Parts: sequence; C-alpha cells; structure tokens
Amino acid sequence: MTDTTDTGTGGTGRCDEIQPRLSEFVDGDLEMAARASVDAHVRDCARCSALVQDLNRIRQAARSLGPVDPPAHVWLEIAGQIHQSAPEAAGSPRRSPGAAERWQWIGLAAALLVSTAGAYLYVHRGRQAPAAATAVSTATTASVDAFTDELTQAMTHYEKAIGQLETLTKGQDGALDPLVAATLQKNLTTIDDAIAESRTALTRDPASVPARDSLLDALQRKVSVLQETVALMNEIRKGDQAGAARAVSGLGRQS
Amino acid sequence: MDHGDLALAERCRTGATGAFEELYRAHAPRLFGLCCRLVGRTEAEDLLQEVFLSAHRKIGQYRGDSALGTWLFRLATNLCVDHLRSKSSRWGRMTDALPDDPIGVTTTAGGVVGVVDRLDLERALATLPEGCRTVFVLHDVEGLEHHEIGTLLGIADGTSKSQLHKARLRLREALAAPRPVVSS
Repeated sequence: MTDTTDTGTGGTGRCDEIQPRLSEFVDGDLEMAARASVDAHVRDCARCSALVQDLNRIRQAARSLGPVDPPAHVWLEIAGQIHQSAPEAAGSPRRSPGAAERWQWIGLAAALLVSTAGAYLYVHRGRQAPAAATAVSTATTASVDAFTDELTQAMTHYEKAIGQLETLTKGQDGALDPLVAATLQKNLTTIDDAIAESRTALTRDPASVPARDSLLDALQRKVSVLQETVALMNEIRKGDQAGAARAVSGLGRQS
Repeated sequence: MDHGDLALAERCRTGATGAFEELYRAHAPRLFGLCCRLVGRTEAEDLLQEVFLSAHRKIGQYRGDSALGTWLFRLATNLCVDHLRSKSSRWGRMTDALPDDPIGVTTTAGGVVGVVDRLDLERALATLPEGCRTVFVLHDVEGLEHHEIGTLLGIADGTSKSQLHKARLRLREALAAPRPVVSS
C-alpha cells in the first residue's frame, strides 16, 4: 500500500478538517467560499480526491436503485381486507342465488373435498414405505414397480379432483374480480411449471423419492388453490363479504 | 394540483371498481423498494400492506396539495420509521457526531470503490445502522433534501448531513474493491 503524503494545503490536519464536509461538497450544498476552499484542497490531496471519487460513485449507484415489484399475494391480502371492511357500493348488483343452485355448489365442493382427502390419505400411506426402507434418495430395485404403481394411482386421484375443480371454476370465473382471477391464473401457471419439472425428473429417474414428493406437493398445492377458488366463488354467490375476504386471504397464503 | 390524482383519489374514496387496485399498481413498486431498504425484505411485505390499508382508510383526507405518490410516500416513510423506532432503542441516539476513527479513509491514491454493482450496494445497505441507512435511502436513493428528511425524521438538517456522510463512508468501506498484493 503506497502512502501518498498530502503535498497540498495544510497536511493531514487540513484533511481532518475537510473530510467531514466532503459529502456536502459532492452534493453541491456548500456555500461559495467554503466550496472554493474544499476544492483547492481536494485538487492537491490524493487522499481526499480519492474519497470524493468514491463518494460520487456511491451517490450515482444509489440513484440507480429502482422500484421493487412486491409478490402477487400482497395485493390479494390487501384486497381481501378491504373487501371485508368496505360497505356495499351503491347500486352494485348482488345476485342472490336460488336455494337449489346454492346446494349444488356446496355439494360439489364437499364431494371434491372428500375425494381430495382420500387422495391425500392414499399418498400419505404410500409415502411411508420408502421413508422407512432407506435413508438414501432412491428406493431399492425390488420396490420400484410398487413405488411407480402407487404414484400413478395417487396422481390419478389428484388429477381427477383437479379436473372437476377446473370445470367448476372455468364456468364461473366471471364472478371473480379480474385482477384476482389474473393473479390466480399466474399462480396456477407457476404450479403447473413445477408439476412439469417434477414429471420430467421422474421420467429420467422413476424411482426418485424427491421428484415424487415434489410432484405430489405441487399437485396438492394446485388442489388447494382450486379449492380456495371454489370457496371464494361460493362466498361471492352467497353475498357473504366476510367469507369472501377470508377466502381471498386463504388464496394469498397458497401463492 | 394534479386533477388526475384528485380524480383517482375520489374514485378510491367512493369505492369505484378497480380504483384502489389502480392506485396500488401505480405506486406499490416504489413503496415496496422503500420498505425493503428501510426495514428489510422480511418485514417489507407486511409494512406494504399496512401502507395501503392506511391509505385506504385515509384517502378521504387527500386534498391534492401534493402528488398522490408523494402523499403515499410520506405515509410509507412514517410507517417505516415508526416501525424502526418501536424495534430499536438505538434510533433515538442518532447524533451529529461522526465516529472517532474516520471510516474507510485510505492513504492510497485513487478510489477504493470500483464500479458499484446494484446488488452489492443493496447488500451493503442492509448492513448499515438504521439511522444512517434511513437518511441515505431518503437522500441518495429517493432524492429528498435534508430539510425534508429533517421534517420526516424529526432531526436537524445538520444531523441529516452528518448521518448521510457516515452512511457513505460505511458503504465505501463495505464496497472497497480488493487491493492487489504488493510483493516485497
């Protein structure tokens, strides 16, 4: 490290006097006389000149720090809380569903919950065999076929539940706020990407426990998002604002 | 007076469909950046929600004396500062004094900070003490003047200037490029 002696005005004592003012100097906040004095010193002092150079670089870099996009769920949670607290807008149409239609919705949602719970229990039972058998990430050769069969059957249950839920939501998505619907679609796309990646991993290594767990987690997440969507649509149709807000909040946690 | 801001505020106040969402989309990224840099990413999401829920409650108070973005910015800054104050007893000890040992002063010729990478700066910013970090973010990132910072934070202009200088010196130290080894 080269020690460069200040050959300018006043030596290191002058530097101690000047340096606390260098931020004001680079910001142009000094009065004319003070600015001229600091400028004269900086021109002759390598140490203070280096500090001015660095302070300018930091200032310029700070100006380039821009906005940061918040996660999608933040808006969902804000919207849910506002929906819960806001009074009805004047003249906003709020259709009261007939009793038959209401029970149709509730019945469908209940049936889906049952089938999904069944799939979850099936998968949970199926998970225990590989975990108990080994601490390594692949099942033994003898159990690969059974592993694949159980995974296939679990996926069939999940995909059936997902299909039924998607049919329900696609027919009724006009009930949702357009932005909530768009955010939901974006979240579902992210989950679909995770499902595709896990399927690809399983194609390469059919006995991979991490890939299987990742796929089943993604399928469960998709079911959860769709269930919450159905619940939200139910609440909107019933005219239950508090329930709708809770459902939106639940959707925010799924993303 | 921006009539567009007044019109949007009125639509938000009356609960017009999509109005508050429009407000959120227009201003959330800037405010989230502010919250992240002042309180850290972990707490920034909750604070951003508080900002907009508070704005929703208070939108009827907006009179158009400033831009709507400025009004929201002040709201967000106050909430962040209150949050920092509630967490830290050190906040109240922000003074004019600089540390006894000048931080990062080098005896070498030439600067020690090379081209500053944005991510490096964000990381270095997170290591600063809360008081000088807040002043740096408000002045150098957000472009506020010292008298505005003084009003927001309840400090003197001189304190704001010295805290800014302290922040920059600490960042300089954190961002200093590795120095070449000189063989004897």
